[in-house]
Amino acid sequence: MTRLTGGLIDREKPLDFTFDGRSYSGYAGDTLAAALMANGVDLIGRSFKYHRPRGVLSAGSEEPNALVTLRDGARAEPNTRATVAELYAGLTARSQNHVGSLERDLLAVNDLLSPLFAAGFYYKTFMWPRTFWEKLYEPAIRRAAGLGALSMEPDPDAYDKGFLHCDLLVIGAGAAGLMAALTAGRAGAKVILADEDMRPGGRLLAESDLLNDAPAHEWVRAVRAELASFPNVRFMPRTTVFGVYDHGIYGAVERVADHLPTPGDGVRQTFWRITAKRAVLAAGAIERHIPFADNDRPGILLAGAMRAYANRWATLPGRAGAPVAVFTNGDDGHRTARDLVAKGVPVLGVVDTREDAQAFGDYEVFRGATVTGTRGRRGLRAIQITRGATATWHDVGALGVAGGWNPNVHLASHHRGRPVWKADLLAFVPGADGPKGLFPAGAVAGRGGTASALADGVRAATTALADIGMTAPKVALPEASDVPHAQAAFWHVPGKRRAWVDFQNDVTVKDIALAHTENMRSVEHLKRWTTLGMATDQGKTSNIAALAVMAEQTGQTIPGTGTTIFRPPYTGVSLSVLGGGDTGKHFRPTRLTPTHDWAAAQGATFVEVGPWMRAQMFPRAGEGHWRETVDREVTAVRSAVGICDVTTLGKIDVQGADAAEFLNRVYANMMATLKVGRVRYGLMLREDGHLYDDGTCARLGEDHFVVTTTTANAGAVYRNMEFARQCLWPDLDVQLISTTDAWAQIAVAGPKSRALLERIVDDTDLSNEAFPFMACAALTICGGLRARLFRISFSGELAYELAVPARYGHALMERLAERGADLGVTPYGTEALGVLRIEKGHATGAEITGQTTASMLGLGRMVSAKKDALGAVMSRREGLAAEAWRLVGLKPVGGDGPILAGSHLFTEGAVRTLDTDQGWVTSACYSPNLGRHIALGYLEHGDTRMGERIVAANPLEGQEMAVEVVSPDFVDPEGVRLRD
Amino acid sequence: MTDLTPVTALGASTARRESFGPLTITEVPDVGLASLALRQGQAVPTPFGLTLPAPGRAVTGKTASAFWTGPDQWMIEGPGQGEADFAARVRDEAPGCIVTEQTDGFVVVEITSDAGAAPLEALMEMLVNVDPGTFGPGQATRTAMHHLTVFLLRRAEDRLSVLVMRSFARAAWHALAETAGRQAR
Repeated sequence: MTRLTGGLIDREKPLDFTFDGRSYSGYAGDTLAAALMANGVDLIGRSFKYHRPRGVLSAGSEEPNALVTLRDGARAEPNTRATVAELYAGLTARSQNHVGSLERDLLAVNDLLSPLFAAGFYYKTFMWPRTFWEKLYEPAIRRAAGLGALSMEPDPDAYDKGFLHCDLLVIGAGAAGLMAALTAGRAGAKVILADEDMRPGGRLLAESDLLNDAPAHEWVRAVRAELASFPNVRFMPRTTVFGVYDHGIYGAVERVADHLPTPGDGVRQTFWRITAKRAVLAAGAIERHIPFADNDRPGILLAGAMRAYANRWATLPGRAGAPVAVFTNGDDGHRTARDLVAKGVPVLGVVDTREDAQAFGDYEVFRGATVTGTRGRRGLRAIQITRGATATWHDVGALGVAGGWNPNVHLASHHRGRPVWKADLLAFVPGADGPKGLFPAGAVAGRGGTASALADGVRAATTALADIGMTAPKVALPEASDVPHAQAAFWHVPGKRRAWVDFQNDVTVKDIALAHTENMRSVEHLKRWTTLGMATDQGKTSNIAALAVMAEQTGQTIPGTGTTIFRPPYTGVSLSVLGGGDTGKHFRPTRLTPTHDWAAAQGATFVEVGPWMRAQMFPRAGEGHWRETVDREVTAVRSAVGICDVTTLGKIDVQGADAAEFLNRVYANMMATLKVGRVRYGLMLREDGHLYDDGTCARLGEDHFVVTTTTANAGAVYRNMEFARQCLWPDLDVQLISTTDAWAQIAVAGPKSRALLERIVDDTDLSNEAFPFMACAALTICGGLRARLFRISFSGELAYELAVPARYGHALMERLAERGADLGVTPYGTEALGVLRIEKGHATGAEITGQTTASMLGLGRMVSAKKDALGAVMSRREGLAAEAWRLVGLKPVGGDGPILAGSHLFTEGAVRTLDTDQGWVTSACYSPNLGRHIALGYLEHGDTRMGERIVAANPLEGQEMAVEVVSPDFVDPEGVRLRD
Repeated sequence: MTDLTPVTALGASTARRESFGPLTITEVPDVGLASLALRQGQAVPTPFGLTLPAPGRAVTGKTASAFWTGPDQWMIEGPGQGEADFAARVRDEAPGCIVTEQTDGFVVVEITSDAGAAPLEALMEMLVNVDPGTFGPGQATRTAMHHLTVFLLRRAEDRLSVLVMRSFARAAWHALAETAGRQAR
């Protein structure tokens, strides 16, 4: 088909593109759908289930049929609507969902088998045997029924996110939206005008009606120029506002570079969060079709879309020279016939269901008639027109179908807003319970005539601005008229053949009737049973027709039948843009310790601990296995001195006259009695009495404490303490602040740790008498640097933790390594740390799981009965207090295989069931000090079962091992070393 | 004077500085930081002669500046005090108040524009959910930036400071440089 005259395409800029490998040419301003149509390509894809040939149905984002895979390689993007894909030079597109060529799809056999594939077929048929579903049925069905396929390659393009703020967000730049933006712009309001199209105008670009006696696009151009002159107005084309969120926040995607071959240096799309004081919803309306027999052939499209293709893109579907027909239930279809006649297109006539239909121009009207059948394998060739008992066949190349317009209530229906049925419009309009601050205008509000929409835009903007105390000036409206739009409540043509309601999901009138027969009475059940309204188009062209058919089945009214709930997004949003561009190692930010670079220079390997990267171990040349490294590091700590960055443990500064009382209430054990210059181990409970976190509490002054938390819980503990401070006990004089990042904290552990530290501290006596186990002090090191020293031990050795301002952490680590060389100083990582603490029976996250009690750790008596504290009362409740699991050590009996963490514990000879399950292994390692594998675990009454032989079983892997119950304190159980 | 040599939050001996079109991003390591909180019932002090600001505000004095961080809480900034015991100085200036050293808790990054407010505000749009139109000079807030919690201070029309937890310094720099770089392209 050659181009018609006119149109808003740039004939000076031809653009070459390919579809299914064949080359074509279109013009700047074309969509892919328009360009294909202009090249005579009407068959664009195959349908989801029956593999029926399909073409273009619409001229917008509501398109259910014309889905293609756009671009190649990693950029291939399946299920792209050809109706919104902007043409660019070099565009490549491929059709989807066929085996063999698009023209001769082998799976078209599904269409012949269609009686088998009615709604509910899968649910009923593939039930047995159950095991076949995942391996056989589902993959086979997915291969046969589906749309495009992903490239399975990473997206090579960049995406971005951003935040915008405005007084008024105008959604849609059609007649109503442009007037709203103009009104608010002239009022001096900060305005954002967003439209999913490449240019403003909306339906004004698709209609031939004049504004101010000139083509409407000329008025649009003038308005656009005026808006561009306002510094307070931002027009965002190619931007879809897809959802309404709380507090006036709107989600929008700007397709920055989708109309270019690649984004180059820039981003493909930007995800905007727009905070708007008020918003005008001027999103227009979507035309609905009328289901009739075989209504899905390429060449059958919405009458309004046909008008858009003719007026805006100067093209039409169908064979060149073949006549065009329109099927309508109201006046609107006649606009199409009128415009086509004006363009010199041969028009067969308008088939109007109404007996009293009036022609808009010089063409035949088939009054009181319906379309009852079509022919044409890969494109429409003929339609059957039936009036009363008389049916006649007519050759046509294309058929426009006009079933009325559905206001785009989607965004107004977010926040569970319920649309309201307007009997005079035969349509749902936004209800009053929609999102606060969102004002529907124009076609959305049921005022879709051009003159009405223009005036309504002004009204909505004025009302919205008044709501925020702004006054809009009087704005003159362009001269326009409302075209007649009388309409009959005619919803589908009854018949025996299949009449499609939802093209994308291949749901027919019969399927809906069947659903009703199968007792799917709720519209939500109908949707799920038939899949109607699902997938990429979310039923934009089918929902209301389906409701009407269902209403007919149930004998109810359409509003009585109900509506399904609209949720964001309005149209599909890619995960790439929702992610906002942070991918790979920037997917989430990483925290580095103050000694990270030093550790990296030593050849450390790192491990993620929450957001932190921690040194895992420091392999040396010649160490062939990670165990060699870890064993060496552990041995160094137990025999000489090791150094390890422990900055990641949370540090919270607690000050105030009531700091001690506050900590007494936060910690289960007594803290108020802690002396200045001393540290105490503390347990925090959750409100429900379970263990929450453990750490140390150091008293630096009468009203000054520093508490530490585990790395994992640092943020949560700080938050909980703030909650307690602000909400539970606001009367206490206490202030909290995190100092985790402020101080680099290095553990110096091992029998030679004191000797090493004595070399760097300034004039501080570190002797056991002056600075005993659990002492702490503020002091200076290395010639006057302020520091804090804590004599605490996680390893069970003589050990300290030394803190300095973080900027000196790197230098301190270097200094310790240098000054301790002759002492055998060895950096150690989290692996060695793990072994050291297992050897000592110290708990970490593997033991404190959220289901652990203090008693299970053998620390039940730490929960002080002399005072109240968070969780203390609940920890004594029946059931929790009776918890019999106790932390024990385990070692293999005979042989020395590793004990698997996660194994469950049973008495020897017991049948292994949940009832006989006596506990589980929480942590396991090889102990270089004991020369054997060891483990920690929880065992029922474990504290009274020392020496008993039990079984650690891993039924998943069919493994089991005889183990002996021992004390969890594998090394120095008397605790002599750490006090030495 | 200690013989240990400090490194910046970005791990170098000197502050990092990068320019992207009209925008320049600079790491500012020589700022002392200390939190100041009132005890219950305590009168608001005037450390370094500063009138401690109301919520959402910052004030700049001759030797120090301050911004509001919470009810009865402020952060005091001491330019040139990065290596000093700045908390001790604040304690002297605000007797009886609760003061905690925060110097190395954060990295201070300054973003300046040599083409007025527009490039800075365009950058803000891509970084933080804060309205540049109402976030003028003298405003301070705590907000999220690329999954990071930051303090944001509008020092002047063309000058913005971002305070990020020090351990996140490199992640923050990446976010700032990437965004500013994209804007400059």
